[in-house]
Amino acid sequence: MTKKRSIWPFLLVAPATLIIMCVVFVPVINAIMMSFQNYDLRRPKDIAFIGLNNYFNAFMDKQFINAVFRTILWVIFGVGFQFFFGFVLALILNSHFRGRGLVRAVSMVPWVTPGVLIGLMWRWIYDGNAGVLNDVLMRLHIINDKIAFLSQKPTAFPSVIVTIVWQGIPFFALMLLAALQGVSTDMYEAAEIDGASRLQRLFYITIPSIKNTIFVTGLLRIIWVANSVDVIFNMTEGGPAYSTQTLSVYIYNKANALNLGYASAMAICLALLLLVVVVPYLRMNFKEEK
Amino acid sequence: MRKRLVTRKIMAVATAAAMAASALTACGSSGTQATEAAKTEAAKTEAATQAAAAETPKAEEKTSDEAVTIKFQYWADNTDYSALMQDIIKKFNSENGKGITVVGEEQPWDGGAYAENLFNAKMGGSDVDVSTWKLTSTPLFVNNDLLLDLTPYVDAMDTKSDIDDNIYSVMKEAGGDSSKMYVMPWNIQVLYVYYRPSIFEKAGITEVPKTYEEFLEDIKKCTLDTDGDGKTDVYGFGMRGAKGGQEPWGSFVHGEGGSFEDLTSDASVAGMQDFIDLYTNGYVPPTATSDGFNEIIANFQSGLTAMTIHHTGSSGKMEEIFGDDVSAFPFPAGKGQWTSMGDTETVIFSSCEHPDAAFEWVKYLATGEGQKMWCEGTGNVPVSKTVGAGDYFQNNRFMKASLDGESYAGILPIRDTTTEWISDLWPNTVAQALTGDITAADAMQILQDGLWK
Repeated sequence: MTKKRSIWPFLLVAPATLIIMCVVFVPVINAIMMSFQNYDLRRPKDIAFIGLNNYFNAFMDKQFINAVFRTILWVIFGVGFQFFFGFVLALILNSHFRGRGLVRAVSMVPWVTPGVLIGLMWRWIYDGNAGVLNDVLMRLHIINDKIAFLSQKPTAFPSVIVTIVWQGIPFFALMLLAALQGVSTDMYEAAEIDGASRLQRLFYITIPSIKNTIFVTGLLRIIWVANSVDVIFNMTEGGPAYSTQTLSVYIYNKANALNLGYASAMAICLALLLLVVVVPYLRMNFKEEK
Repeated sequence: MRKRLVTRKIMAVATAAAMAASALTACGSSGTQATEAAKTEAAKTEAATQAAAAETPKAEEKTSDEAVTIKFQYWADNTDYSALMQDIIKKFNSENGKGITVVGEEQPWDGGAYAENLFNAKMGGSDVDVSTWKLTSTPLFVNNDLLLDLTPYVDAMDTKSDIDDNIYSVMKEAGGDSSKMYVMPWNIQVLYVYYRPSIFEKAGITEVPKTYEEFLEDIKKCTLDTDGDGKTDVYGFGMRGAKGGQEPWGSFVHGEGGSFEDLTSDASVAGMQDFIDLYTNGYVPPTATSDGFNEIIANFQSGLTAMTIHHTGSSGKMEEIFGDDVSAFPFPAGKGQWTSMGDTETVIFSSCEHPDAAFEWVKYLATGEGQKMWCEGTGNVPVSKTVGAGDYFQNNRFMKASLDGESYAGILPIRDTTTEWISDLWPNTVAQALTGDITAADAMQILQDGLWK
């Protein structure tokens, strides 16, 4: 009886484990192997083992180093603002007002829109000649001349960050709203009787109560935003002058150019970079939980 | 309790690692497929090449006896062209008399990703027999033994002389082996300069520029502040700084006497400097660094630019919008003269089981009724001399500009570096030069190294 019980859980997880092995670990191992090879399909006859050369080349590559720093900024500002505005939206949607159901549904639109469509849509919104954003800003007399948002380096990267923020706000709002609805109203009532201000209730009741959801949602978005290609690629393809090229876009461009060995080496660097962020993040979360 | 917490920690870290590692899966999976498929395709190719050589003399006999299906993949720039291609296929299927059925399958051009998608599909074992083509993709497919050598078929073709020998030469060069021709000519697009006669008149220009220097001057003259508010309302030239802009840019490099073979020469650098000066002096829209095909056409059609460079593919829409207030002239001669010969061809894959039937189809597109229907319907320049001699091509001002430019039209050097150079290196390097990050000489050195490495 004891023996049966010990095998049963393994049998239950076996199909899922097998699928994960096939769709994740086999390609990952293959990518790791390719990263040690001169795996360029444009020159298939030259494919050979080259050790750590792809990694050395990456760290000597100015584009790679710039892309790493740009990815860090992309994640910090992208996820940071998504969280801030998502939290504000969740607090609004958690309060009672007329038409709340409609607002909740409409606020999800950016999240359910495909990234490719978002990229194309915002590309035309930002267009320096016929874009609606320039038109609105000029009608409001905020600017006098049209701004070529995606065509000049100082504005291109902030512009794509605004787009990814717009896309990600509903996800944070949705997750945090679900968590907010689980916070007991008794605590707020008690705090109110004790004379706690709105701000004190926010920092001493609301945020500690939904802390775990914030951690998990933040973790997911850090990984997704760092890996995202669709929005940037459809808006700028990493340009102009590489000014919006994050590491994932650079990897995509190199893989598209069929230099799979170099692209794999950079992808492994990205995965390691994410682990460097994710592991301490999880440790911190568990430490507090303990 | 502690043991359970440790287990949870391990599980959480492993899950996070799996998610982070998912960034790698795309590269990994394509590589696996590619490796396996490459081996299979290489084996197939050898067999198919030998078979083709053996079967050629029996072509007529075989195609007349068997009912075969040819899977043809193509892209179309708009829905009209898509319907036109289906009409051509229908006509061929009903009239070929050899039991050949072509099944057309449209795929998006997707800014050039068509070729990459097709490559991935063929490496993964796709059953496409024939595809429309761009020469730049040839080295990649030839290096992976995916294309059928068409030389014996073309040599045996009764209409071989209907296509100019220099076009065959360009096709052969693309494959890297002058004795083999992997690509069948279909149609060409010669880039020329669109201009608005009404804007020329406002700028005081009485005739189209005859030299490169005059052309640069006219760009400056056509940059106008029409309402006197101190802001530019019409830019002289619609510059394409995004992917695809290397073609008009090449005309500037050659206009100063430069060449693609030596992009670092003084003349080539001077051509690049002209390009930069147009941007920094405000003769082109400030969005030029990221303007692609859609933007340059939209800017010209909205009246924002007075001139831009494209081919007959857009002439129908231009006429529809402007009527007689749009015309064209060939890119003028400076110390040198060059314009891009946009090319579209067809190829037969080495995996094709009925190469004779497939060749009947590509021949129909190159020199038969398919050539006439497609070129008249799309406004592309025909490769067939017989079709080109028709009234439609002789009496059209845009076609005339194309035909006038044909003698000095050329293509970028076809190398295995060309695709990446076009899609990534050229737009970003030129954007760096336009925005003043690097000098013209630095940019040309980067472009030289990237193309000829």
